[in-house]
Amino acid sequence: MTKDFKPKITLFHCINAFGDADEFALDDKNTCEIHTVKMPCSSMVKDVFLLRAFEAGADGVIVMVCPEGQCRYLEGNIRAKKRVAWVQHLLDEIGLDGRRLFLDNMASGDIATVNQTMENVLKNLAVIGPNPAV
Amino acid sequence: MIVGEQKSISEIKTIIAPYKRILIMGCGTCVKTCFAGGEDEVAVLASSLRLACKKDGKEIYIEEFTVERQCEDEFIQEGAPAITRNESVLSLACGAGVQALARRFVKTPVLPGVNTTFIGVLEKQGVFTEECAGCGDCKLAIFGGICPVTRCAKKLLNGPCGGSQNGKCEVNPETDCAWQMIIERLNILGQMENLRVYVPPKNWQTSLSGGPRKMVREDHMI
Repeated sequence: MTKDFKPKITLFHCINAFGDADEFALDDKNTCEIHTVKMPCSSMVKDVFLLRAFEAGADGVIVMVCPEGQCRYLEGNIRAKKRVAWVQHLLDEIGLDGRRLFLDNMASGDIATVNQTMENVLKNLAVIGPNPAV
Repeated sequence: MIVGEQKSISEIKTIIAPYKRILIMGCGTCVKTCFAGGEDEVAVLASSLRLACKKDGKEIYIEEFTVERQCEDEFIQEGAPAITRNESVLSLACGAGVQALARRFVKTPVLPGVNTTFIGVLEKQGVFTEECAGCGDCKLAIFGGICPVTRCAKKLLNGPCGGSQNGKCEVNPETDCAWQMIIERLNILGQMENLRVYVPPKNWQTSLSGGPRKMVREDHMI
């Protein structure tokens, strides 16, 4: 892997977890490139959308959902978790590595969790390397 | 409905290996309900295969199309332009759908993307169970609407084997004992006398054991 690898990350997030990614200044231009997709509930994250993010060139995809038991629509985050697990399995089968896809629970406005997740994701992607299907 | 399960990506990759232009054709009836071959599954498989082929450095063009019912000519015809544009068709329908396509489009290779598993029902969200073996000689009227041919591991027609425990089958403790269910249901229906009816050994000629079956309805033929 080249030293100048700057991962492209697609972040799907529930608007109840945080309203706007920009308010957290997530897009650190020096370390990664982030594309965000807002959803009214994380249950909207269908498997094909996650795969298409990789087709569009993402090296990693993050799904940010509300903590379990705190979904406004009761079980949206549980559904998202199951779909993410299913797509991780598909990515492994394809040979893309399921570790490129991450899901994290965060309470509304909890910037510390977002930063921690980003740090973990970048650390993992540094090991896995760029998306081999680009 | 007919229940099926999508084949693994690795098996599908092997099946489609000789082709560069592929149409993935879904079916919007049974296999859609069991998440094996509806429009959504076609989209996911297409995306997965595009990623897999790109990763392997293989050039591929994949088109997606789903018809309402793949086992009938009338519905298949809608897909004709897409089929003729491609080298082969990967069908996400049951075996009947695959063969109906192959019959209709003689010069196009039609490949199966689904393993047709059984005739069953949606027991609860995400769980499908086999309920009918298509034996061709239905006796459900005697058994209170519960089929021992399909649901009893021993296919017993004249009462339980005696091996079940707590209403579960001794062959597979995760399966409900069909005869326990039959007796409970007959009791509810007030038809316990059905248990006295002797059911003779089954004539399996009406099943697949008698070879491929055909049903003719003269009144509907033109």
